Amino acid sequence: MAATKEFSSGGTDSTVIGPSILISGKLSGDEDLTVRGRVEGELNLSKTLIVETSGIVKANVSVRNAIVSGVVVGNITASESVELTREGRMVGDINSPRVIIVDGASFRGRVDMGNAEPRPQGERPVSRPVVRPATRPATVPARPAVPMRVPSKPQPPPLARVEASSRPENKPAPPPPPPQPVLVGEAGKKKVLVKKKK
Amino acid sequence: MANTIIGSSIVIDGEISGDEDLVIQGTVKGKISLKESLFVEASGVVEADIEVQNVDIAGRVTGNIAATDKVELKADCRVVGDVRAPRILIADGASFKGNVDMDVKER
Repeated sequence: MAATKEFSSGGTDSTVIGPSILISGKLSGDEDLTVRGRVEGELNLSKTLIVETSGIVKANVSVRNAIVSGVVVGNITASESVELTREGRMVGDINSPRVIIVDGASFRGRVDMGNAEPRPQGERPVSRPVVRPATRPATVPARPAVPMRVPSKPQPPPLARVEASSRPENKPAPPPPPPQPVLVGEAGKKKVLVKKKK
Repeated sequence: MANTIIGSSIVIDGEISGDEDLVIQGTVKGKISLKESLFVEASGVVEADIEVQNVDIAGRVTGNIAATDKVELKADCRVVGDVRAPRILIADGASFKGNVDMDVKER
């Protein structure tokens, strides 16, 4: 269900095939289709096909998006994306620029994301975590703040130094900023307390 | 029970069968057999033989209709085909061409 929200297909008036319904033949349309029953034959939609957990589709499917939580036997061609959810089971070939198969899904068949297109190549570097470290060094100025703050802490020096020394090696710059205010704040409070006691 | 709805932009060419209510706002060609009620709404177009328990028609139907309980042709519907059912209602304004047979033993 969460997956269906992603696409915000919204319209509650969209077509629903109930759990006890069997449709055999050709089905086509320009609106979202939710399958809780069975559809056999051929399915063409210009929008999203949602196969719910009770749904069974034995058909060659051509849609924009497909979200499979039930069973699909047949080939799916999607112009945007195909998602097999945790409960999804599918046998057949998928042809779509975006294919999402989550943990728990069962799938047998071929996947073709159309790699020849230039678009996916451009998108991937952006979405891949590999590139994130490369962009983060731009925030290197944040690193000096880490050593700066270390000397200002009299109480937890060993911990802070271990963290500081490990941080530059580990690259991730974002983690330091959140702890920064916390540590400084704690250190500041402790200092004040100590001074008062003295 | 969850209703089955065939939306207005949907075209089905084939056979529909099931044990629950079916609402048709789109187009269905072929055959429909249900153990419950069929509703053909004003935007619905059915070119199919229909076997159901009840059917309410406000749209267009071409084909033979056999109902175990009731057939209701509402105002503004257009029906061409033979109708067989123990109870048949034809509202004022309905357009109908075909045979009517109410002499069906109730099951």
